[in-house]
Amino acid sequence: MITERVSYEQLLGISGCLALALLAHVTTLPLWVLAIIGVCGLIRLWLARSGRSAPPRGVLIIFAALVMPLLFLRFRTFNGLVAGTALLSATAGLKLLETKTQRDIYIITLIIYFVSLAALLEGDSFWLLAYLIGVCWLTTATLLRATSSGPAPGWRRSLRFGGRVLAQALPLALVFWLLFPRFAAPLWQVPNDSKTAASGLSDTMSPGDINQLALSDEIAFRVRFDSAAPPSQERYWRGPVLDHFDGHTWTRSTSGRGGTPPPLQPQGPAYRYTVMMEPHQHRWLFMLDWPSSWNQPRAELSNDYTLMDPDPLSRPVDVVGTSYTHVQYSEPLKPRTRMRQLQQPQDRNPRTQQLAREMRSAHPDDMELVSAVLGMFRQQPFYYTLTPPKLSDNSVDGFLFDTKRGFCEHYASAFAALMRAAGIPARVVTGYQGGTLNPYGDYWILRQSDAHAWTEVWIDGRGWTRIDPTAAIAPERVESGLADTVNADDTLASRWQRKTPWFAGARLRLDLLREIWRERILDFNQDSQRKLLEMLKIPEPDGQKLVMVLGAAMALAFAWLTWQIHRGLAPPSKDVTARTYARLCAKLAAAGIARKVHEGAEAYAMRVAQERPDLADRVMALCRHYSSLRYAEPSARITLGQFQAGVRAFRPQVRPQGFRASSRI
Amino acid sequence: MSSLRQAATNQLRAWAMRRHGRDSLPISIHRRRIYLLPTRFGVMLGVILGAMMIAGLNYNSNLALGFAFLMSSMAVVIMHHCNRNLQRLSVDVTPEVDAFAGREATFEFELRNGSNLDRRDIEVRCLSAAGMGNVAAQESGTIEVIAPVAQRGVTRVNQFELRTRYPFGWFYAWTYVQGLITIYVAPSPAGTKTLPSAGAKGSGTHSEARGEEDFSGLRAYEPGVPLKHMAWKVLARGGEPAVRNYSSLAAQPEWLEWSVLEGMDLEARLSQLCLWVLESDGAQRPYGLRIPGREIAPSGGAAHRFACLRALAAFGDGET
Repeated sequence: MITERVSYEQLLGISGCLALALLAHVTTLPLWVLAIIGVCGLIRLWLARSGRSAPPRGVLIIFAALVMPLLFLRFRTFNGLVAGTALLSATAGLKLLETKTQRDIYIITLIIYFVSLAALLEGDSFWLLAYLIGVCWLTTATLLRATSSGPAPGWRRSLRFGGRVLAQALPLALVFWLLFPRFAAPLWQVPNDSKTAASGLSDTMSPGDINQLALSDEIAFRVRFDSAAPPSQERYWRGPVLDHFDGHTWTRSTSGRGGTPPPLQPQGPAYRYTVMMEPHQHRWLFMLDWPSSWNQPRAELSNDYTLMDPDPLSRPVDVVGTSYTHVQYSEPLKPRTRMRQLQQPQDRNPRTQQLAREMRSAHPDDMELVSAVLGMFRQQPFYYTLTPPKLSDNSVDGFLFDTKRGFCEHYASAFAALMRAAGIPARVVTGYQGGTLNPYGDYWILRQSDAHAWTEVWIDGRGWTRIDPTAAIAPERVESGLADTVNADDTLASRWQRKTPWFAGARLRLDLLREIWRERILDFNQDSQRKLLEMLKIPEPDGQKLVMVLGAAMALAFAWLTWQIHRGLAPPSKDVTARTYARLCAKLAAAGIARKVHEGAEAYAMRVAQERPDLADRVMALCRHYSSLRYAEPSARITLGQFQAGVRAFRPQVRPQGFRASSRI
Repeated sequence: MSSLRQAATNQLRAWAMRRHGRDSLPISIHRRRIYLLPTRFGVMLGVILGAMMIAGLNYNSNLALGFAFLMSSMAVVIMHHCNRNLQRLSVDVTPEVDAFAGREATFEFELRNGSNLDRRDIEVRCLSAAGMGNVAAQESGTIEVIAPVAQRGVTRVNQFELRTRYPFGWFYAWTYVQGLITIYVAPSPAGTKTLPSAGAKGSGTHSEARGEEDFSGLRAYEPGVPLKHMAWKVLARGGEPAVRNYSSLAAQPEWLEWSVLEGMDLEARLSQLCLWVLESDGAQRPYGLRIPGREIAPSGGAAHRFACLRALAAFGDGET
């Protein structure tokens, strides 16, 4: 049976399933690997089509000898997720080429299962899961067709069978999933494939970086406030702080990172919230300006008040934090820090430096100078646009004096450069601003289009003060279509939504579903299990109790499964009429006249009538009822209920009076 | 490895024999007597499922974990399905089988499926041979197992096996049925001697007349009749195939004697007698068999033939 040759049909089925499973990897696997698998499959199918067998082993060895080193060259390892998947997929392709017997089909099936799982280690959407379950359903049906002896069962039948098996497996799988203890820490360090490119903000900022993000609808994170949210102009989500300027690009300097952040005196109310971060492959976590506490024990505040995790964020994470939107610095700026925050290349942007010197002499007070610069942005024809002209190396000069058109990073960059040139410590802060409220789920969505850059200047006596130069642009100079983006509460993406409210509503509802999916399914962990046990009224839930509950639930699931699977075995249940008649027979048997196996209803009734004349009338009547119910048209005068009632009321005595009297003689 | 497996199987078979004793056929297979093990692919699947679960746990991916659990549960469901495929299947077998040495014995297993489920890929194993078949819901089916038999004699099969790998072949479930099947293996028909009557003309007590001359009527055709005895004219007129009956066939029984073949090897003698039985039967001549310890009065027909063949098969068998 195992050595049975595979048919063209079987090959086509299993190749199709493999192709569908690999489709889930199409974005991560190198295209040439997929191409090789495709070529292998096509060659084998073509051979089978023309009635030929698999190619000789030599061909296979040559193929393998070509593919494996190529794979190794590409990945340098077979250990990572993508590399492992590529290796496995290539093996499946080669196996397909080699497929001769059922044994090979089994092996390809197993590879399909594993490759599907690997896709779920990378992706996390509901649709991916549904798709892959569909693929496995199809694979299972294909396997059923391939392993049945004799003529293969039809596709519909096989699919129905596979569907039934999956449905029967579901409760047990659910029990396992809910109650199987999760590891607090992985068994071994998961190799960090830089599988997805880092997204969102980076630790450098050149003109044009952020306005690219502004086009992206991708969600950066979601936020749920415990109570009221701060007003829009205070919802600045702090990301990497850039304090090194080379005349064109701002970067996050690496020197002088250590040390604890300077102490802050909170003023005003504290906001408690949960940030649900999407993985972005950077180390920073976005917190509301200014963060004071958080629940990630490994994360630390850098001395410029950005919360940093030791490892790049490769999976979704929830951070519960507290922030104050108003703070006061209680310590003066250290001279060395001040030096660093004044740094700028002396030989670049000469016109800007000239302007800064002029303005400084006009406004000796720091705050006055700040106001003057903001006033300049407001009064001169500066435009806010998504499509600013390209800038040369002296980007600030170009922007301030020539183009005067830019996005938030242009303004932040120019403002900070001007401040530094004027001798005021300044830095650029990148992050997100505003966000969209999802009224259905009462949380805020921050998309990449909410990315923002603003500045902080050091004012003696006040400390680092946030200045958002973009907010100073006169509204009439905001290019049409960007009307929403100025009040960063609304995003570019929401521009269209505003025009079509139903779409916006649908979109927000969909996002709510995603959020629920994330919170309930993707982030299901030990805590959730503990809560589940609490819901089941189990006091002081711990790991041991979890395992006990798992055992009990498994026993239940198994019992259900056994019942479900074996109920088909019972002979077809008799209909109610037959059961009622059987009850009548049992009563008569108890009265001493058992029906013989071969006896029909009529004959039995006759016999009863003969042996027990006292019961004759009733038994004959009941028998007539039975016959008419069972064999006559449905319109019979007797209803089933009457028959049942008659049988229930029928209580034959074991021996009639007369009989006893006669036996006494 | 395979010998170890063989030994384990033998142990299990013996244990099943002791545990259940002789079964009275037909028997409905109870779940308690069904054994189940994963096949090689089932073991491979188990390893893969384990790897899937560890990957899911290690990557802390709830989706992957859920997927791995779903697949594992599916394997558990399949295990139940495999087991169910044999449950409450009613098995019967023809208790006596006739065969010739050196050829095959055909066992006919009658499977009755009283449930609402189709039973697929049921394999019956008997005497190191196997047959496979399906039994639809509420139906019966016959599965033939054709096993070669080498030795003349009476062979008793005390146990046969029902097995299934359906569905998917990840598991196989099997059960032993302790049903007695007696195989009468007649000697292989062979020999060079002609029938005693043809060889010894005039000897014996019977008439010398060649029976072919005395036509005494027609009887229904049965396979194996010499062609020249066919009533072709009847057939040509459109009637049923018929055979001409000769009075001599009815009248003069022939004794197939053990003693005639003095000096030959025992098995050769039996083979010769077997050939004679078949020849006499084919010639529609009444014949009797006389071997040491057994005498079968002259007669004809299939039942008689079987009686004679079984007598030859059982020759020297202590139990008969």
